[in-house]
Amino acid sequence: MSEEFEPNIVGFACNWCTYAGADLAGLSRFEYPPTVKLIRVMCSGRVDPSFILEAFARGADGVFIGGCHVPADCHYQRGNFKAWRRIEILKKVLEQLGIESERLRLEWVSASEGQKFSEVIAEFTETLKKLGPSKIKGGVEID
Amino acid sequence: MTKPKVAIVALGVCSGCEVTIVDTDEALLDILNAIDLCHLQIATDFKYEDIPKELDVAIISGNIRNEENKHIAKMLEERAKIIVANGSCACFGGIPGLGNLWRNENLMDYAYFDSPTTENPDKVLPDAEVITLTERVYALSEVIRVDYMIPGCPPQPQTFVEVITALLEGREPELPNFNLCEQCERKRNAKKMPTIRRWTEGVDDDGETCLLEQGFLCYGPATRAGCGAICVNEGNAPCIGCYGPTDQVVDQGAKMIGAIGAMADVAAQEGEADDPEEFAKKFVDPVGWLYRFTLPSSLIKEKREDQ
Repeated sequence: MSEEFEPNIVGFACNWCTYAGADLAGLSRFEYPPTVKLIRVMCSGRVDPSFILEAFARGADGVFIGGCHVPADCHYQRGNFKAWRRIEILKKVLEQLGIESERLRLEWVSASEGQKFSEVIAEFTETLKKLGPSKIKGGVEID
Repeated sequence: MTKPKVAIVALGVCSGCEVTIVDTDEALLDILNAIDLCHLQIATDFKYEDIPKELDVAIISGNIRNEENKHIAKMLEERAKIIVANGSCACFGGIPGLGNLWRNENLMDYAYFDSPTTENPDKVLPDAEVITLTERVYALSEVIRVDYMIPGCPPQPQTFVEVITALLEGREPELPNFNLCEQCERKRNAKKMPTIRRWTEGVDDDGETCLLEQGFLCYGPATRAGCGAICVNEGNAPCIGCYGPTDQVVDQGAKMIGAIGAMADVAAQEGEADDPEEFAKKFVDPVGWLYRFTLPSSLIKEKREDQ
């Protein structure tokens, strides 16, 4: 019997926009797949690339980062731009390490975009289902 | 007082770290006087069987690349009270660690058939008597216990002397736990990085300004100090990160991406930087640069393939 593959997504959501957006999605009863485990961070610029790599190393199928819209929404002014630059480089690194760059997704979701949040997660889940499980099965040992 | 028994052993390594030991000049005389040297492949004719059953210190350089390396490393772990990893290969996996981007079969194919300088029409491979390669390259600490590290490719003599002298005096060795930029003499005006240029395009380096500000990749912000920043200060070349990360950092490459992202954004605020996609496109071979010395001890460790 083969069960349908349910991707495991680690999500980093910025306190000021995306986390509030996710909250709104819940309040407004927008449906999205239960695949994402959201972690609240103060800013998408706080997401150190090693958090993302560690999520993949521990077996996540995808990593989602949500921040405030560019150019002007960031509560700390430039955090979202910093995250954007890091993620563009990180995608190239992941490709070289054999992890598809589609598994890493950065989206701008504002506090009023509950609908967008649910759509993004649904879409990302579909992408990951097509890609299949991550090649790092069960994660690696981290000392 | 009996002198401590010391074995200096090289595993998967180019032996440059052993040359560093000779490079310690007069300090070497004091060290040699204070120890009972049991093994040093590069300079003496001891065999592995001459290594005593009980050792005080094993100074091991090199990573684990084949089964012999693994065997010797485990033997030393049993026999030695203190294990010192000497050099970046032992500490983090080193340059040979980049071999983890390929499978062993690809590496063998390239070495024996495909490389431009190889002529092997009969497709002869070394036979089964040759020691088998391990599945991937391992840093020493992934396989055995490591008590102290002497990072560097090769370690600077002062780092080696500090660690060994400290052990002889019975105190904890002190490695600098801050980044290389603090020892760099170049001028920093603002922490900004407008673009990425390869060092081979470096004809217009002005010799004074921070290399990152000129757009050259320099590993200073994410590398442990201790070498005196000689590549930048004396060699006029960017840091390549051979001293590895400081104690607080898990993954050196990830930290450097973080630093590059922040610096590029400072330049962007002044309207000087490439846009994020363009900027990332100019980063040629990011893994080869970011993980030049630390791939086996990084978070992802090797290229992942379908199992």
